[in-house]
Amino acid sequence: MAITFQQVSFAYDAKNLWRHGALEDIDLKINEGEFVAIAGASGSGKSTLLQHLNGILMPTTGKVQVFDVIMSAGEKTPKLTELRRRVGLVFQFPEHQLFEDTVEKDLCFGPLNFGSSKVEAKEQASKALSMVGLDDSFLERNPFHLSGGQMRKVAIATVLAMDPDVIVLDEPTATLDPQSRAELAELLYRLRRDQGKTVIVVTHRMEEMLPYVDQWIVMQDGRKTFQGSAAELTREALKLEASGLALPSCISYWNQIATRFGLEMEEPCLTVEALAERLERVLQVHDTAEGGGG
Amino acid sequence: MEGTKLAYDLQQVSFAYEPEHPVLSDVTLSITSGSWVSLVGANGSGKSTLAKLLGGLLAVNAGKIIVEGTPLLRETASLIMPRIGMVFQNPDNQFIGATVEEDIAFGLEGQCLPRVEMVSRVQQYAEKLGIQHLLSKHPSELSGGQKQRVAVAAILAMEPAIIIFDEASSMLDEQARGELLHILRDMRSNGDYTMVSITHDAEEIMASDRVIVLRDGTVAADVDPDTLFSDDALLNSCRLIAPYHIRLIQELERRGIKVPPFPNADKEVEGTLWPLLFNK
Repeated sequence: MAITFQQVSFAYDAKNLWRHGALEDIDLKINEGEFVAIAGASGSGKSTLLQHLNGILMPTTGKVQVFDVIMSAGEKTPKLTELRRRVGLVFQFPEHQLFEDTVEKDLCFGPLNFGSSKVEAKEQASKALSMVGLDDSFLERNPFHLSGGQMRKVAIATVLAMDPDVIVLDEPTATLDPQSRAELAELLYRLRRDQGKTVIVVTHRMEEMLPYVDQWIVMQDGRKTFQGSAAELTREALKLEASGLALPSCISYWNQIATRFGLEMEEPCLTVEALAERLERVLQVHDTAEGGGG
Repeated sequence: MEGTKLAYDLQQVSFAYEPEHPVLSDVTLSITSGSWVSLVGANGSGKSTLAKLLGGLLAVNAGKIIVEGTPLLRETASLIMPRIGMVFQNPDNQFIGATVEEDIAFGLEGQCLPRVEMVSRVQQYAEKLGIQHLLSKHPSELSGGQKQRVAVAAILAMEPAIIIFDEASSMLDEQARGELLHILRDMRSNGDYTMVSITHDAEEIMASDRVIVLRDGTVAADVDPDTLFSDDALLNSCRLIAPYHIRLIQELERRGIKVPPFPNADKEVEGTLWPLLFNK
């Protein structure tokens, strides 16, 4: 088990009489090598949850375990250096994460800090940059002169350069163009499939991640209201929508078509290719039936 | 000619932050008053830079920007700037007041309006955007969508003729994005505003009148939204993806299934696929 949360609550104002919980009573298990996506409206506790994964925040009550590091409410903070190498976090605002005057220096900062030689660090930098689809000509550029989308790609690369076991991204696709977003989702999927990385991503654009994700977590008002596969998510769509979660078109399309043709028990077709293929078969059956009957 | 006034007339506009990396080169285009234009392109194509030039936040290196007939220059900027409002990406960076009411009033104070006029404008635009119940709230009590709604109200209260949205919906959740799109549609149908929206959002692009595609700092195409989304090569070149219902119809047609056109095609299956599936 890579990550477990046991009855974790967190309040930014824990000692205040009017305590407002950002996380309430979260139980959670994430296996090594899983691709997990977290959805929920803004303010539902997604980012707060992520910051528990490498000890930026400590639980107010309950216990968080990541690999062999245990962070328990009220106990002394354990040593976090190794954990922070193994769990790489990409924050919501890329510009907050960059600080050097060239992209290369920014990319080398993490590896150098965790003991790589200069030559190794440069190699890791260039490799990470190519993973996010930028070529070596960007190495000498000033990160603050890049566009918002390019900056975000560099910020993601700075974390990849450290080769973490768990990659955590907070809303990584805002500001990227749609094809870059699709490429990033694919890259994360490949990191999980080929290198066994655990990937945890907060997203507002559920459709992009749907084909790749093993487990969905839905947050609402600091609580976990759902955890399960895309198929389970699709079946619970009405309930989730009623509680204020906006679901992507592909889910509402499937559900309406499933209701119309009695396909509710099937594995949902959530890509246009899969849905078109399924519809083709449905229509053939119908045409044959109509032909035979009349 | 009456009725075809230009909000913007750009003549061979060029710009670079560093001389060795030109961001915009030789951009020539015009935007009619009262229209809604989407400005699209891949990351790094120059969209946000163009938005800042249009908003007068940056000055051109070469070429000319003419706003409602007046060239945008250092001397004329003080006349032109009040005509233009901008809404940015991150709702948290646009809040100045300690309450929503103060936030809307801030821009009006800058315009030195009399107090009575300020109070009435705050009320008027809060009502228009449905945020009267939020007027006494602190920004931290608002959702992302509500914050963007306040940002729009604060801009509209200054009564600009031109509004530039620089990826205003990109950080919003699904629900809030829908709300903002609704506001944009209302503004368009009301006809008082020229709207320039920098966006990657397929639904937002579909709702606009015209799409200007930027590629490597030049205008690569200037088309209507339907043309853009039916042209795969063009979509790829600006790294966009068509909305789900359009891709589904295209995929069905590839398989030889003709989907009859239907006026209300959108998120609901009934809209797009009704004639095909539900009359069976």
